[in-house]
Amino acid sequence: MAANMYRVGDCVYFETSSTSPYQIRRIEELNKTASGNVEAKVMCFYRRRDLPNPLIQLADKHQMAQSEDSPVAMKLKKICLKTPIGEEQAAQAVLDPAIVAMEEESTDLPGTDGLAPKQRHQAKHRELFLSRHVETLPATHIRGKCTVTLLNETESLLSYLNKDDAFFYCLVFDPSQKTLLADKGEIKVGSRYQTEVTNLLKEGEEDSRCSSELETLVWTPAHGLSDRQIDQFLVVARSVGTFARALDCSSSVKQPSLHMSAAAASRDITLFHAMDTLHKSGYSIEAALSSLVPASGPVLCRDEMEEWSASEANLFEEALDKYGKDFADIRQDFLPWKTLKNLVEYYYMWKTTDRYVQQKRVKAVEAESKLKQVYIPNYNKPNPALVANAASAGKAAVLNGGTNGTAAVAPSLCASCQVTNSNQWYSWGPQHLQYRLCGSCWQYWKKYGGLKTAGVFGESETEAARTGRAEGEDTALSVSHRPHRCTVINCAKEFKLRAHLARHVATAHGGAGEGARPVMKTRAAFYLRASPFTRLARRLARALRRPRHYARSPFSPINLHQVKHECTIAMAGLGAGAEMRGAGPTGVPRVRGAVGAVATRLAVAMGTAAPRAQEWLTLTPRDRMPVPNHVAFPKPPKAPDGSLMYERVLSRAELEARRNEANAPPATLAPHAPPALKRRAYDDINGLDRGASGAAREVAAPPPAKRPNKHPAPMQRPSREQYAAMCARAQATGQPLPAHVFAHVNGKPTNLTGRGGRRHVISWMDAPDDLYFRATEVAKAARRTLSCGELRRGARAPWRAMRSAIIAASLGAVAGGAAGAGAVAAKAAGAGAGAGASGAAGAAPLQLVILD
Amino acid sequence: MAMQPHSKKRVCYYYDSDIGNYYYGQGHPMKPHRIRMTHNLLLNYGLYRKMEIYRPHKATADEMTKFHSDDYIRFLRSIRPDNMSEYNKQMQRFNVGEDCPVFDGLYEFCQLSAGGSVAAAVKLNKQASEICINWGGGLHHAKKSEASGFCYVNDIVLGILELLKYHQRVLYIDIDVHHGDGVEEAFYTTDRVMTVSFHKYGEYFPGTGDLRDIGAGKGKYYAVNIPLRDGMDDDSYESIFVPIISKVMETFQPSAVVLQCGADSLTGDRLGCFNLTVRGHGRCVELVKRFGLPFLLVGGGGYTIRNVSRCWTYETSVALGVEIANELPYNDYFEYFGPDFKLHISPSNMSNQNTPEYLEKIKNRLFENLRMLPHAPGVQVQAIPEDAVNDESEDEDKVDKDERLPQSEKDKRITGDGELSDSEDEGEGRRDNRSYRAPQRKRPRLDKDATPAKDDAKAEDTKDDVKNISNMEEPKKEVPPNA
Repeated sequence: MAANMYRVGDCVYFETSSTSPYQIRRIEELNKTASGNVEAKVMCFYRRRDLPNPLIQLADKHQMAQSEDSPVAMKLKKICLKTPIGEEQAAQAVLDPAIVAMEEESTDLPGTDGLAPKQRHQAKHRELFLSRHVETLPATHIRGKCTVTLLNETESLLSYLNKDDAFFYCLVFDPSQKTLLADKGEIKVGSRYQTEVTNLLKEGEEDSRCSSELETLVWTPAHGLSDRQIDQFLVVARSVGTFARALDCSSSVKQPSLHMSAAAASRDITLFHAMDTLHKSGYSIEAALSSLVPASGPVLCRDEMEEWSASEANLFEEALDKYGKDFADIRQDFLPWKTLKNLVEYYYMWKTTDRYVQQKRVKAVEAESKLKQVYIPNYNKPNPALVANAASAGKAAVLNGGTNGTAAVAPSLCASCQVTNSNQWYSWGPQHLQYRLCGSCWQYWKKYGGLKTAGVFGESETEAARTGRAEGEDTALSVSHRPHRCTVINCAKEFKLRAHLARHVATAHGGAGEGARPVMKTRAAFYLRASPFTRLARRLARALRRPRHYARSPFSPINLHQVKHECTIAMAGLGAGAEMRGAGPTGVPRVRGAVGAVATRLAVAMGTAAPRAQEWLTLTPRDRMPVPNHVAFPKPPKAPDGSLMYERVLSRAELEARRNEANAPPATLAPHAPPALKRRAYDDINGLDRGASGAAREVAAPPPAKRPNKHPAPMQRPSREQYAAMCARAQATGQPLPAHVFAHVNGKPTNLTGRGGRRHVISWMDAPDDLYFRATEVAKAARRTLSCGELRRGARAPWRAMRSAIIAASLGAVAGGAAGAGAVAAKAAGAGAGAGASGAAGAAPLQLVILD
Repeated sequence: MAMQPHSKKRVCYYYDSDIGNYYYGQGHPMKPHRIRMTHNLLLNYGLYRKMEIYRPHKATADEMTKFHSDDYIRFLRSIRPDNMSEYNKQMQRFNVGEDCPVFDGLYEFCQLSAGGSVAAAVKLNKQASEICINWGGGLHHAKKSEASGFCYVNDIVLGILELLKYHQRVLYIDIDVHHGDGVEEAFYTTDRVMTVSFHKYGEYFPGTGDLRDIGAGKGKYYAVNIPLRDGMDDDSYESIFVPIISKVMETFQPSAVVLQCGADSLTGDRLGCFNLTVRGHGRCVELVKRFGLPFLLVGGGGYTIRNVSRCWTYETSVALGVEIANELPYNDYFEYFGPDFKLHISPSNMSNQNTPEYLEKIKNRLFENLRMLPHAPGVQVQAIPEDAVNDESEDEDKVDKDERLPQSEKDKRITGDGELSDSEDEGEGRRDNRSYRAPQRKRPRLDKDATPAKDDAKAEDTKDDVKNISNMEEPKKEVPPNA
């Protein structure tokens, strides 16, 4: 089916959120990932609704200018439509007064002249803004094809309206600069650009040009020879060449057979030479023949292909491997006796050889991950916005309306076309308004990002856009200019800036209270650089006493003033002494000295004489290699049949049992211990519990595996034994774990069964590439035994194994009651990045859960 | 279409055997090697022996500064990969560095490419040849003081400047997939050179070539831009190329033509996005050749080099009026043409975004512009001797084109009723039937075999708006051909 075949270069709809309209993208590349999924590198088109308000105004003006061929329009064409980057100043975008004046004159969207208001409204939905922004999306989210073309002035907008899935663009939007540009170059006018046109020669004026100075004749068809004669002469020239090769020693080595000599003599260089000879001898075959065989012997023409020796050819291939086609470097480092031209000529001939063809085949296999097209079947799953039962829709709405009391409209009406009958109804718009769309209007909304008619229920298009966005849409760029509304019930105050909203929430609704929902989600990862003062404040301020809590809910506001106040008091009062020291940097970079010095020192320590000629560079013989006193991954013993015998990995219960005998469980931990005895589905996923308990045995049993991190979450997990065996096998063979061990989650919400039967739905929207760490009670308890510093260090360097609690205890970092908790590994989550995972002292298996 | 035996012309071909060895740099799509591949194919096809083959001289700095600025040429002459660091500022100024890298022998390469086109133009001026070919030329993006789009020295402008010594009006046609901005800019304000460029427009290098860019000052209406969209195929290309070029020939009446044969408009080009085959591309050469004017063919873009050499080989054969076999002859680079080793290529199944309606609208708009030309055919009842100064046209130049024409001018443009025919707003079918049916009185100006299309659009060229409207309303008014 051609309709479902998507090729590079196609414009397509992408569904990234079920409630918001499709996104329109152009496929730039299709890549097969290692897991067999297809990712599309796409270029973004933005809709009108995705643009900041001031830019929309500019776009309107541009359109108007286009439609009228006025001088102002010409001017507008030349200026770049630009608004300042700052959102506040955007409103004061400096506009050409003339344009502003023009704007006032005609308030209508021009270019739409002769269109009915409804069509004019719909035409806005067909306008897109090209951007140079490229992103990668899973190809499975493609929901159909569309066309996007540059609007040509000769076309009427009606031609787009009459065609489904047809869009146009005329401006280019730069999301980072927040600018709109006409995608247009300019032919400049002026003496610096145009040429001076030569005058026609006057009557009798002589042209100074003389062809003989400008060119050299190499061949003319005005000769007496027939085609046949030329062909014959060419054959003769080739035979002379073959014979010359037979006489030439160096050739006879390279071309042991007559066939090869003849083939070499038939290359184009011989033919060109023959033609030149013919021309030079005035197209006399006789004369040409005699110059082919001068007194010095038959003429031998060799091109680069033949000229090069086998070793030179090998050098060249080696160089090509190393430097690519940087012939200047190749010449310098490999073949300095060749000229650049030699190299280029040889290169292009070498490309005809088998060696090159083989290389190309290898490359072709490599390039297989780059697809030209992909088949995506029609997407049939119902949209979550689909109202389940059309018949009961009205009733359900009433019920719902009753609960929050804000049902404003009769919900059985389509919010767009106001029909009352439809096979399918979709809930649309903000929840509390209870809007519904009929099937066709829903389709329209998804494709064109608007409603068919403007101003139904007095709701303007922009408001519709906003409400759509408030539902968790992530068009980060567009939110900025619209008022932010407080989401706390019965408040709904609006603020210009998100910062204001945040302040409002913090002050009016209490900082510690229910955190304001993020108005929008930032996609970009951020990184918080804590200054020493911040770090100090974290310790001093009472308000920040719950670092883990704040890390987990980074949206809950923190009352800065309070923190500041507390800090100043604390710092003034306590003299900050000990705490300052604690917070300050502890590590001093170790000075190791020069490498040579170290080597000498080492040599002395080993008892050998100080090396003079850098003996430390020579490898230590295998038998003299220092044997580690602890082998982390010892090779298992061999069975009689030669196979490796793996130690059975202890089951959970056994581990628990062992732990209990090794360390008397501390009182504080006792309440948490029982749950740890029960295995839960997710334990394998985060591996923490096992790590904690395994480490508790102080000297851990040989760990079952290297860390299979960076793998997707296992869905169908192998049993523990199977798993351990697989890990060991993978370790022994040095190969990564087989992919089937980890089923791919593939962008779908993943359910992890949590404690208390509560379902934790992690949508990939919320955590694109992030780690998710689910802390169990035991982990939480364990964490509590760690000092703040330990925790933070762990969060900052999640890959590093935690120091055992024993060490921690000796450092005095353990809170009093929790002493003796055993070696505990836990990591607090970094606030933005999601969470870390654990590694135990005994290198217990660590798994990171990556949700795709 | 089979070539007629009488279409054989004297063809001069310019080539320097060194040209293939210039190398723009690793990963750069521009490969002068394609010119050598073409040359080897020509030899083995036996076309070589049917042409005059010339090795061009190296154009001197003096010759190049006829168009380019002195300091730009001085810079090109002195820059080398090993002294680039000393020229940082100038490299920025002249846009040399990224797209237009500094490579070994850069200046020589420019000299050879420009030398070929200049020598070819002189050849045509001396009437020593009817068709000249320089596949090493066609570097249409180069500006007066700026390199651009892999082009450093604009050999086309230099060639046209040479042609202007003998030709009052020179027509430049550009079928590269990119806009011929360098040439258009150079002649943007003159009415002696009309530049016609067919190109992909919209989010595409070099960004110029809008339908509304029509020239400036005296050169207003002398720049013709045909903005196209992805996927142009042979049929749609011809459907727009034929009427536009015919109309241009008819209204502009050039005495020499330069055709830039950029082969990046072919299907499967590394940088292009059209879907033309070698045949469709070569068809343009054939159509222009039919007008029988002194004809300079230059190369240009083209980044899938096996197809470029196929294309230019075929076009050389078209220029020569010789049919060549589809089976490629063996040559040094034979393996490049696998797996089929054929001359002609098939179009891909990409969709053509240029709807017939779109092309029709573009065409109509361009026709409207062309009607503004002072050389409307109505004026030129009698054939004008070539190269002669056209007094009438000079009078018309003084007339402000934005103003209404004086009655005297209007009178000149009125044609007899018999010449009225349907307007260009008509549907496709009729137009096809009527194309190339030239009114008798035009014949003397052109070769016997040439069948220039000055069909229907004659009527509107009377410049009488009222008449045009009536034509549009009554498109069915049939007029016997050649009445």
